[in-house]
Amino acid sequence: MAVDERRTIVIDPVTRIEGHSKITLHLDDQGRVEDARFHVTQFRGFEKFCEGRPFYEMPSLMARICGICPVSHLIASAKACDALLAVRIPPTADKLRRLFGLAQVVQSHALSFFHLSSPDLLLGMDADPAKSNIFGVLEQNPSLARDGIRLRQFGQQIIERLGGKRIHPAWVVPGGVSEPLSEADRDAILETIPEALVIAVRTIDWFKGIMERFREEISTFGNFPTLFMGIVKDNGGLTFYDGKLRIGDASGKIVAQGLDPARYSDYIGEKVEPWSYLKSAYYKPAGFPDGIYRVGPLARLNVVDHCGTPRADQELAEFHELQRTAALSSFHYHHARLIEILYCVERMGHLLNHPEILDKHVRAIARPNALEGVGAAEAPRGTLFHHYKIDEQGLIRWCNLIIATGQNNLAMNRSVLQVAKHFVHGDRLTTGALNRVEAVIRTYDPCLSCSTHALGQMALSIQLISSEGKLLDEVSRG
Amino acid sequence: MSAGYSSAGRILIVGYGNPLRCDDGLGWRAAEELARTLPAPDIEVITRHQLTPELADNIKDADAVFFIDATRGDQPGEVTCKPVLPQPWIPYCHECSPAAVLALAQQLYGATPQAFAVTLCGECFDHGDAISAPVEAGLPKLTALVKDLSSNLRKTPVSYQSIASAIP
Repeated sequence: MAVDERRTIVIDPVTRIEGHSKITLHLDDQGRVEDARFHVTQFRGFEKFCEGRPFYEMPSLMARICGICPVSHLIASAKACDALLAVRIPPTADKLRRLFGLAQVVQSHALSFFHLSSPDLLLGMDADPAKSNIFGVLEQNPSLARDGIRLRQFGQQIIERLGGKRIHPAWVVPGGVSEPLSEADRDAILETIPEALVIAVRTIDWFKGIMERFREEISTFGNFPTLFMGIVKDNGGLTFYDGKLRIGDASGKIVAQGLDPARYSDYIGEKVEPWSYLKSAYYKPAGFPDGIYRVGPLARLNVVDHCGTPRADQELAEFHELQRTAALSSFHYHHARLIEILYCVERMGHLLNHPEILDKHVRAIARPNALEGVGAAEAPRGTLFHHYKIDEQGLIRWCNLIIATGQNNLAMNRSVLQVAKHFVHGDRLTTGALNRVEAVIRTYDPCLSCSTHALGQMALSIQLISSEGKLLDEVSRG
Repeated sequence: MSAGYSSAGRILIVGYGNPLRCDDGLGWRAAEELARTLPAPDIEVITRHQLTPELADNIKDADAVFFIDATRGDQPGEVTCKPVLPQPWIPYCHECSPAAVLALAQQLYGATPQAFAVTLCGECFDHGDAISAPVEAGLPKLTALVKDLSSNLRKTPVSYQSIASAIP
């Protein structure tokens, strides 16, 4: 049966996410949800317009993809350029880039958890959308609202201190970083770590205390088997900067590891669907769509053996007890995100106390020594790949970006379907059903500006369309 | 709101907008000029692409706040200055109005600074970092206004009614 002959619900636009999207829910003859699609309706085309630009401009150009995670694009891009130069960057530059990336993860995760998702968690999934914002959180739990603001500020101030500005800093360059860390800045950042640690621990404790209220959501928010992928250290530890790809299955078994991120195209395929600008990535050996996999905090914690910092490892041990298998429910993204914040804050403390951290040698200088380079890193939302080809003059001839949100696209679509089947009944959308459809997308913290490399506005729309193709209901937010 | 304020000790100036969209970057230009020419210790000048909830943290210690932004209208180059009162409404969670940021600062930290939205009407918001001629001509008026108000705020509370007459 053709799609337009069916009954469909459309949610357009989706709110409290990064970017512009809509959802259509297709009903069968009995009015039950039969299919769901998460459409990304924006396009920007970074891969195309950077062609012809000098390779050394790429980190700054690519950072413009996103205002939330520019640092991740800077790092992946600079690593791709390192590969073009064929240099090993100085050890201190490596540590400073890691520090920069960790600060970015903290501020991005804090934005996702406190500003975007905590209204659902604190006020409940049936709350009035007009109150589901930071002011609603403030009324109910001022301490939580204040913690969110402080934690995000913590990450942003470190980015600003290291990179000179908090959005689109250009401090990370091919071959390393442009400036060493000063003692004054090191000490100033170290002073802020204890408060951030207290907030991170307090928030995890709060979240664990309310999880029981969300049993129904845990069982229906993307609670199905998939593969999980992340970059891990050689010893199986959590990392956001460098390592090898590891893929685990739903039972918790590792199905592939030690994969070179530079050979991502051997493992990852991308399928284009006519109804969305967002490509769907899949694990090639399993084929499409069986190769559905998830990336990001949930996936990372499912595939790592340990975090590598004491408090985060304690929390990880509890996290691994959530389900006998891998943690399958996408609701657990929230929990994983908070554990990663804790890890990042602890790890920043370690890096800042390293004896080499103030070393002045922070950049390797070279001309291009290779015509092709791949840079990969773990962005807040998942694994990020930048792949460039240049000509003999160092001009970009081809570019490919694989972004976390695209890798979660299949899982997001299936999650919307699972939630809609459970919560949407009849030909009208209730507030609670609409809230949950949005909330399950939010667990992934999708960044549509990144994933389509598009300039977006946060908004969502849902349409409900009958089996005859008649629009039954339409709700827009944003 | 105009009565009952003590004179302003600490002043926060926030220039915001997108400096890669021509006149939308005027807030940054004005802030940079003010950072150069206003006395430093008790005046903090910051630039932002957009206002976010975290700004409440900067506002909490300020006695007066200026939000400098571009606006659209029929009279490119025209400077306006309006008082801002706290308004707890936030359409998206990481983009706020001046009123929403003030409300956050008030509710989170009990901060109640006098606040002003100082705007300059732009002509061109295309991609680019050039400022249009009317905005270029209007920027000195805007910075002079902020300097005058800052200076007056240090001496005595400024009534919101007196703002209109202060515009050069």
